[in-house]
Amino acid sequence: MKLRKIMALTLVTAMTAGMALTGCGGSGNDSGNDSGSSSSDGGESSGDSVTIKWISQGTGEDGWEGITKPILEAYEEETGVHINAEFYTFNDLFEVIETKSAAGDADFDVMSVDVTYVSKYGSSGYLEPLDQYFNDEEKAKWDDASYQAGVWEDTMYAAPENTSTQELYYNKTLLDQAGIKIPENDADNRLTYEEVADLAKQGLKKLDPDGSQGYIGFDFQQVSRVYQMNMLANSMGGKNISDDGYSLDGVVNTKPWIDAMTWYQKLVDDGIASRGYDADQLGDQFAAGKVLFMIGGTWTPSNMTCDDEVGYTYAPCFEGHEDEVATSTGSWYFGINSKSSNKDAAADFIKYFTLGKGSDMWLEINGDVPSRLDKQEEIANNPDAPEDMKIAAYEAANTAVPRAVTPVFGEYSTALDQAWEDVRNGADVEEALNTAVEQFDAATAAYK
Amino acid sequence: MGGIYIKNKWLPYLLILPTIVMICIFKIYPIIDSVIQGFVSNGSSFTLDNYKHLFADKAFWNSLKVTLKFNIIIIPIQIIVSFIMALFVNVKVRGIEIFRTIFYLPFCISLTISTVIWQMMLNVNNGVVNSMLGVLGLRPVGFLIDKKWALLSIVLISSWRGCAYWMMFILAGLKGIDSAVYESAKIDGSGFFNTLFRITIPLLKNTWLFVLVANTTANFLLFAPMQIATDGGPQGSTNVLMYEAYKSAFKYSNRPRQACLVTILLVIVMLVCFVQNKFMTEKEANK
Repeated sequence: MKLRKIMALTLVTAMTAGMALTGCGGSGNDSGNDSGSSSSDGGESSGDSVTIKWISQGTGEDGWEGITKPILEAYEEETGVHINAEFYTFNDLFEVIETKSAAGDADFDVMSVDVTYVSKYGSSGYLEPLDQYFNDEEKAKWDDASYQAGVWEDTMYAAPENTSTQELYYNKTLLDQAGIKIPENDADNRLTYEEVADLAKQGLKKLDPDGSQGYIGFDFQQVSRVYQMNMLANSMGGKNISDDGYSLDGVVNTKPWIDAMTWYQKLVDDGIASRGYDADQLGDQFAAGKVLFMIGGTWTPSNMTCDDEVGYTYAPCFEGHEDEVATSTGSWYFGINSKSSNKDAAADFIKYFTLGKGSDMWLEINGDVPSRLDKQEEIANNPDAPEDMKIAAYEAANTAVPRAVTPVFGEYSTALDQAWEDVRNGADVEEALNTAVEQFDAATAAYK
Repeated sequence: MGGIYIKNKWLPYLLILPTIVMICIFKIYPIIDSVIQGFVSNGSSFTLDNYKHLFADKAFWNSLKVTLKFNIIIIPIQIIVSFIMALFVNVKVRGIEIFRTIFYLPFCISLTISTVIWQMMLNVNNGVVNSMLGVLGLRPVGFLIDKKWALLSIVLISSWRGCAYWMMFILAGLKGIDSAVYESAKIDGSGFFNTLFRITIPLLKNTWLFVLVANTTANFLLFAPMQIATDGGPQGSTNVLMYEAYKSAFKYSNRPRQACLVTILLVIVMLVCFVQNKFMTEKEANK
């Protein structure tokens, strides 16, 4: 009787736990199904027509799902190849790729790859090498930094959609209301982070003295994400990762990082930068006219949802570190699923989107910084080109610091994203950095 | 008019065979496979390195501590609150079904959606809870960004929905108690608390056993609210073992680490359930 009870109890426990074990596998798919959306009802080949399935990020009409539609339609019109694009939220895309690729799923052909994951997906066998599809002449059409970021261990795995850089954006309407004038500045005489923080403080004092309006003085579009936050440490001379890509010890628990994080924490403690908003929300706050100054990408002005006028200038530097200006860079890439049965067609679509007419359309629609040299020159030499794009082209060429190159970027971003967020929420800076070092180095011990 | 007499003694086994096969494929196999993966390196060779690396990882020990702390807080809270709710909706008054429905409604909302709603309500900048605190002249509280509050906030979010679920099981148990027992107790002059502690709670023995085991298992495996609302932070204060396993699988692509974590979790859950079972059985034997 007792044995039967124990058996029954074991079965209940094991079955519920089994749901969790299998649930791990299901979660990725579920989240994908929950948040993913397809721009096409179809998706299968019919007759002689070819359908390519592309999985990417940016759901909704305002996201990539909406803005890539004309490009996909133009491609289908030109080639007869239908693109069944499936979009997920930023975070979900990584899980979807991981789940599908680890299972050897062949149901998609092209994937959008965040630059930081090229080495990981390449070394894991998720991506098909692209050297056989892109000749040297084609590869030379991108700037070297963009091309190299798609290469891992001498093999090209991904083609750059565009690159990115950071500028200082400000809400000119709000600053005018506060009577604040931006000092003259240029690439050789930049505003400093300290000056921007001071201007933001003055602005808040005028516009929102009791804090009831919810204005934010100075913040970062991709707050608590290493992509953008690391530029603070880089601007003090800090590196992103050890040379072998497997350690943070002696890299982030150093003076530049401690000073950068301490400065950022003070910005938050002084009520100039925000707490409680995540990276998906801060850009929206600026777009809604609630942020005075923001470090952001070149897509910022086109995302504005209020009528406020947006100003922009070069990324700031720290006082005493004027010769160490650093901006984040890198963006999205295209890769071919190594299990795809439509690799040639997939490569053709990628060429269209990264070098051909699709690329022209994309750069026009999204306003990103081009990876293509001809487009960069076009911006530099065109007197009518938007000034913010000229600034972006300058930053990309002169101050961009590549992101950490490591095949364990998931562990890297988890440890350091958390450190930035913890410091933002009041954690001791050195303790947060040491925790990140321990966490990352323990995680990478298994790979060494 | 009697039932159909089954001559073939194998027929019942044949009828339950599909279920047994399904359980083996979808429940038992993943467990065994997961346990094996934790001891495998580079495809096939046996190794203890996966556990060695895990035990040397402070993040693991922190998440184990957080998991135990979370469960020590949430399990008694959920069971006591669910029991109180079940007692409320067990009274015989007109329209009690409406209250039962209202009390059960939170469980009808998906965990993801309810977490997002609570996340907005508890937001430090513009959440309704902090707005109310502001009206009372209190400073905003970082419910989800302050190390002191984050775990308790997750307990609140999880319990808001979970209590509704467990309430229904306890209510079913309460309904199963013969009303004659209460009438006799009343005639004998038993008061509310005397009846509660000497009749109601002991007679719910089987219900308690199920609720305890299922609640423990469910809460040990819970991670969605942590993933959505706090991402395991601040400072790892809500980073439970299951979320660590999830990240290992889907963010780090480290399947052996994930396998080790869920195996450890499975052992812990089974141990806790055995202790609970032993405790309940001994209590019964002592009577």
